[in-house]
Amino acid sequence: MKMAFPHMGNAYIPLRSLVENLGAEPVVPDRPHRGTLERGLLHAPEFACLPFKVTLGDCLNALDKGADTLAMVSGMWACRFGYYGRVQHMILRDLGYEFQSVLFGGERPADIWNKLKPVVGWGAPRKAAGALSVFRAKAAAVEEVEARLRELRPREVRKGESDRLASRLLRRLDEADTLRKVRMLRGEAREALAEVRCREETDDILRIRLVGELYVLLEPALNLDLVRRLGSDFRIEVQPVLSTYKWLLCSLWLDPRLKVEAVKARRLTRPYLPYVLGGEEHMTVSGTLTARREGFDGVIHAYPLTCMPENICRTLLPKICRERDVPLLSLCFDEHTSPVGVTTRLEAFIDLLRSRRLSREGKRGSGAYAVPAAATAPWD
Amino acid sequence: MGDRADSVDSAEGKRDSRLRVGVPRALAFYRHYPFWRAFLEGCGCEVIASPPTDMGIMRAGTEACVDDICVAVKALFGHAAWLAEAGVDAVLVPRMVSVEKKPYDTFTCPKLIAAPDMIRHGMPGSPEILEFVVDAKRRPWWWGCLSLGRRLGASPCRIWSAWKHGVDEQGRYEGMLRTGMMPDDALRRLEGGVEEPPAYLGQGRVAVGLVAHHYLLGDPLVNNRIVRWLHAAGARVVGSSKFTWCEIEEEADALPPLSWSYEKELLGSVARFMRSGEVDGVVYMTSFGCGPDSMIMEMVRRELRPRWKLPLLEIVLDEHSAEAGIRTRAEAFVDRLPARSVN
Ligand code: SF4
Ligand code: SF4
Repeated sequence: MKMAFPHMGNAYIPLRSLVENLGAEPVVPDRPHRGTLERGLLHAPEFACLPFKVTLGDCLNALDKGADTLAMVSGMWACRFGYYGRVQHMILRDLGYEFQSVLFGGERPADIWNKLKPVVGWGAPRKAAGALSVFRAKAAAVEEVEARLRELRPREVRKGESDRLASRLLRRLDEADTLRKVRMLRGEAREALAEVRCREETDDILRIRLVGELYVLLEPALNLDLVRRLGSDFRIEVQPVLSTYKWLLCSLWLDPRLKVEAVKARRLTRPYLPYVLGGEEHMTVSGTLTARREGFDGVIHAYPLTCMPENICRTLLPKICRERDVPLLSLCFDEHTSPVGVTTRLEAFIDLLRSRRLSREGKRGSGAYAVPAAATAPWD
Repeated sequence: MGDRADSVDSAEGKRDSRLRVGVPRALAFYRHYPFWRAFLEGCGCEVIASPPTDMGIMRAGTEACVDDICVAVKALFGHAAWLAEAGVDAVLVPRMVSVEKKPYDTFTCPKLIAAPDMIRHGMPGSPEILEFVVDAKRRPWWWGCLSLGRRLGASPCRIWSAWKHGVDEQGRYEGMLRTGMMPDDALRRLEGGVEEPPAYLGQGRVAVGLVAHHYLLGDPLVNNRIVRWLHAAGARVVGSSKFTWCEIEEEADALPPLSWSYEKELLGSVARFMRSGEVDGVVYMTSFGCGPDSMIMEMVRRELRPRWKLPLLEIVLDEHSAEAGIRTRAEAFVDRLPARSVN
C-alpha cells in the first residue's frame, strides 16, 4: 500500500514517519509550488478556497508518483475543510484515477481501527504506540527548529545562514527513523543553531504577530514565503499563532497543553464570537487581543480569498485593533496575488510600525507629551 | 446607544411607547419573517421591516463590508444600516447556529452563525442588537424565543401566546411557499392586497426549477429578476423553497451526510427536481464568495448530474452582476430545453 497525503508546511516530516511506522509505504509529493497550484486550478471548482486548490494539486502529484491510497482529514464541521477529502477524491476519480481513499476525522476509535486494520494488520496497537511516539518527537523537533529559525533570521550576521542550516537539519530529521535518533538530532540541532553568529545590536528588531487561516500561515507556497521574507528581508521577528505541531497534535490529543491553550483562546474570543465557526477564528481573535500585551508591535492577518471564518474575523479585527491600539495589516491571498503588491504593502506597514516605536521610545525618553504619531495612518 | 439599551430593558415600564424593532430584509428574513413579526408584536413591540433591497441599500452594504464576503451578507449590512438610519430602537438579527437535531453535528453557515457579531463589531455606528439564537442541536427552538421574549420584558404567558400566534402565521406562510412561489411573493400575499397566484406559476412551454437559498430566491435585486426573465422566455418557474423538510430528508438520506443543513436542502432540492420529473431543467444560483455553495455545486455536478442528465444552469451572483447578462443566459437556457411532452 502506497499512501499519500497533501502537504502543509513541514508537516510531511512527522507524517511520513507515521505512515512508514504503521507499515505502509509513504508517498510524499513534491513540495507545492506555482505549478502545483496551477494543476489544482485546472480541476478545482472555481470558487473553492485556495487550500483546496493547492492540496488537489498535491494529490495529483502524489498519484503520478504512484500512490494508491490518499489520506485526508474530514469531518462534519461548519467550514469547508471537512469536505475537502470527499470532493477532491470525487474529482480525482472523475479524472480517471483509481485509488483508495482514507478519510479520517470525528470517528470513534473503533472506526479508525477498522480503517487502519488492512494497513497495519493485527500488530496494530503496539505498532501504533511506537509510531505515534516517533511522530510526536519529530513534530516537536520540527517545531523547535522552526521557532528558533524565526528568532535567528532577523539577527544573523550572514543573511540566509540559519535557513541553510535548518534545511539541512530538517532533511536529516526526515531521514531519522528511531526515537533515539530523533532525540539526538534534536539536541544536535539546538547546538548547531545556537552557533549561528548574531548581530550585537538587536534592540531595533520589530516583532509582528501573524494570525489567520492555518494553511496560509504554514504553507510558504501559498503565502508567497511571507514568514521567511519578513525575517530575512525585513529583519522582523514573526510569531504565527499556529504551527504544524499545534495542528497535528491538538487534534490527536497528544499534547494536553495545546488543549488548554485552545480553551483559553476560546474564552478570550467569546465576547466577540460566542459560537464556534469551524476554522481557526479563536486563534486569530485571541492572538490579536493579546498581541500588544505580549510585546508585539503589530498584527498581520493573512487569509485566502472567500475564507469564511477569516472573513468574519476580518470584519471584527479593525475594531479590536482600534480598542487595543495595535496596528493591523490584512493580506488576502489568492492565485492572482502578486508578490510585488504584497511587498509594497508590507513596506508601508513596517514603516508605520517603526515610526510608532520611535515615537513611543521618544515619549519614554523625554517624558514630555508626545505627538500621537502615526496612530491615525491608514492601517488597512 | 446607551439609552437605547435602557429602552430595551425597561420596555415593560413604558408600554405606551412601544419599542420599535427593526428587521433587516436579508438572510433568515425570507425564511422566518412571518413568525418574527407575530412574535415580536405579541411581545409588545412595533415591527419595522426594511424595504426590499434597492441600489442604495446594496451600495451601503458593499461599502460597510469586506470585499470578498458573499453578497447575502453585504445585503444584511445594507439593511441594518437602513434601519439604523430610520432610528429604530433595536435591530433583530437572528443567529442560526444549527436548525436540526442529528446524531452528528449540524450547522447552517459560519456567516449565519456570526451574523450578530459581524453587525455589532463590524458595522460603524451599529444599532442596538436583539439576538435570536436558534441552536437546535443543543436547545429546543422555543428556548431562543423565551430568552428573546424575556429580554423584551414580556411575561411567560404573553410569550407563549405570541409564540403560538407566530407558529400559525409561519404555517400560513409555508403553505404558500409549498405552491412554488418565491419567498418575496409569498410575503406580499401574506400581507394582503394581492390575491391571484404569480404569473410564473401558470402555464409555460417548459418548467424550470430554481434552486437557491431563500434569500437569493426572494431578493429580485440580488438575483437580477431572474424569475421574470425565465418566465418571459416561456418557462414556468418553481422555487426550491417549496420542499418540506420531509421531502428533503428523503432525498438526502440517499446521499452522503452533510453537516450544513441549508446546503443539504439545496442538494436535496436539486435531487428532488431531477428525480420527480416535475421540471425540464434546473437553474442553480449561488452568490459569489459563498463558501458552502462552492462545495455543493461540485457535488451537484458530480454526484447528481450524471445520474439524471437533466439540463443544469449554474449562475453565480454578485453585486456587480449585470441584469442583461443574466437575462441572456436565462433565455438561452430556456430556449435549449425541449418542450414538455405531457402537460
Ligand atoms: S478555514 Fe477558510 S480556507 Fe480553510 S476550509 Fe474554511 S473557508 Fe476554506
Ligand atoms: S450560505 Fe453562502 S450565501 Fe449564505 S451566508 Fe453563508 S456564505 Fe453567504
